[in-house]
Amino acid sequence: MNRKRALISDTFKVKRIRVGIEKFGAVKNQHGPTDIKSTIQYLMTLFPRKLFNDTLPQIVLKHQLYSIHNDKTLVDKELNKLRERGELLMFQLGFDAEAFGLIFASDYKAKVLAAEEGRETRATVEKFLEKVVSSCTDLSFSKDKMLREFLFTDSEITQLVKSGVLTVRDAGSWWLSIPNSGKFTKYFIQGRKAVLGMVKKSKYNEVLKAELEERRTTAHVKFHMKYHIHDIVGAELVESIPTTSGTLLRFVD
Amino acid sequence: MLGFLAARQAGVDDPLRLRRAESTRRVLGLKLNPDRDVDRIHGNGINTIDIDSIEGRYMLSGGADGVIVVYDLENFSGKPQYTCKAVCTVGRSSRHVHKFSVETVQWYPYDTGMFVSSSFDKTMKVWDTETLKPAEVFEFEGNVYSHHLSPIARKHSLIAVGTKNPKIQLCDLKSGSRIHVLQGHRAEVLSVRWSPRYEHILATASADSKVKVWDVRRASGSLLTLDQHNGDKSKASSEAVNTAHNGRVNGLSFTGDGLYLLTTGTDDRMRLWNSATGENTLVNYGKVCNESRKRLQFTVSRGCSPEFVFVPCGSSVAVYALHTGELVTMLRGHYNNVDCCEFHPDYQELYSGGKDCNILAWVPVLRASDVEEESNSTNTGAVGQSSVNPAFQDAWSSDED
Repeated sequence: MNRKRALISDTFKVKRIRVGIEKFGAVKNQHGPTDIKSTIQYLMTLFPRKLFNDTLPQIVLKHQLYSIHNDKTLVDKELNKLRERGELLMFQLGFDAEAFGLIFASDYKAKVLAAEEGRETRATVEKFLEKVVSSCTDLSFSKDKMLREFLFTDSEITQLVKSGVLTVRDAGSWWLSIPNSGKFTKYFIQGRKAVLGMVKKSKYNEVLKAELEERRTTAHVKFHMKYHIHDIVGAELVESIPTTSGTLLRFVD
Repeated sequence: MLGFLAARQAGVDDPLRLRRAESTRRVLGLKLNPDRDVDRIHGNGINTIDIDSIEGRYMLSGGADGVIVVYDLENFSGKPQYTCKAVCTVGRSSRHVHKFSVETVQWYPYDTGMFVSSSFDKTMKVWDTETLKPAEVFEFEGNVYSHHLSPIARKHSLIAVGTKNPKIQLCDLKSGSRIHVLQGHRAEVLSVRWSPRYEHILATASADSKVKVWDVRRASGSLLTLDQHNGDKSKASSEAVNTAHNGRVNGLSFTGDGLYLLTTGTDDRMRLWNSATGENTLVNYGKVCNESRKRLQFTVSRGCSPEFVFVPCGSSVAVYALHTGELVTMLRGHYNNVDCCEFHPDYQELYSGGKDCNILAWVPVLRASDVEEESNSTNTGAVGQSSVNPAFQDAWSSDED
């Protein structure tokens, strides 16, 4: 008897799709059509706002979405749609070529303006947010573009860099960035290393996801455990294997 | 399945639809079959395999010890248990064998009377299969990583060769000349591939992270350089402009119809490109582990819908759906790194070779044959006894007493 269920192509799928049967142990991820926006909102709730005294908008990483939805290409397409509509902003976070941070546009604008209260760079930042962020979905800007298309002067650009909205990329171009996000990056990398270390140290380099979530975290892990787990699964630093006792995370060299 | 057959019979469905559906079902059922084996001749890892495109009967393999073997894949024995025998070998004892590892072998696209092999001993040899002697030897200045003959060429018989030298050489089989050179890359060229759709279009991949598409009739340079960000200069750091990958590009493969090009790189990514415009289709395959310092031979299925890509990933072969990017399954069976794989389009079988000196045949398994059927075919002389399980047959008492 062949106990393994064979892969079946869509054309040969059985007609009856039974709904509502809970499989013991196995966790099912598909719940109808994929709604990326609600997934992003759920992930944002895992972001610790208190840690940064509410100065930072809630940041989600793009690859965290891959850990929830199976189809990566679909996730990418939906994200691009949201970005085109101007609801979502994507940032190059700098520590990894593939790590992109996502923030809701309204959140971002609110926090940036709140941080700029009373500073002399406020007017320039407002102008930047209105003109550039609302219209352009680029991740970085070159000097040429800033001067010609958006009509910013050199001193204004310096003010924007000072306020943290732009970060130097190389001579004559800048990344769009999140002000005061240095702490976030530091804690995030620390936490990721600590969680990966936890998985690595376990016997056979594997841990049940439920067990990992229950574990007491050291002082290095400042974010919610689930936030880090979505990150390491999505970035494919650990393999997610479905077992009868739940999902198992195994470290990948 | 019966529905498909009935629909085709009635004329409701196009005959191609049944063929596609059945091919796809067979590819999804690929498994290591205990009945199918390939003769183990190589003493060292296997670097490359090629199945001839005319009959699909003979398979060439090139090993890390310079040995080249020709196998017969057809099963004429009548039994399901079959070992693909080696028909002939260019072994270490042959006078003309390559001195170092053979990196690429390819059958002559029109018949199996000739094949071409290239190796790290800086030569490329054109062999006569009958006598197993090289008819022509091309020498180069650096290690030859890859070569390819166009599978559809009628007007030319050029072999594109990628070596350690950034210039791509085109060698002519008819005249033996090699004056045509394609310049444009800045580092060693790891893989070259002719398009199966247009006989003059060539794609090359290099360690400088660039993939260039050339028309060999044009003297002035490449047609396109593939850009992973599709011209969106803002996405990456400015050094990464116009690159196909963020690391060395070591694998190239066109899909069967030549409309799409797949590339793999050491940045652990695989990308699907529209071969006409050079646009990155942005299909996300996730992390495709790739640590090869040489060419990676991967393959795309033909005749299925959706098409599948078979990529060697560590010691297993990963199967991805071509256009959606989802990982369908991992074929595990090798003991060590897998270096090459090749799809047999007529039987929907996959052959993969690796460092463990084995070539494994992955054969579609759809239904386990019943015990009763087997005993029926073997007990042709059984009288009166209808389908008795061989375990219950009386095999020890003698009729004489």
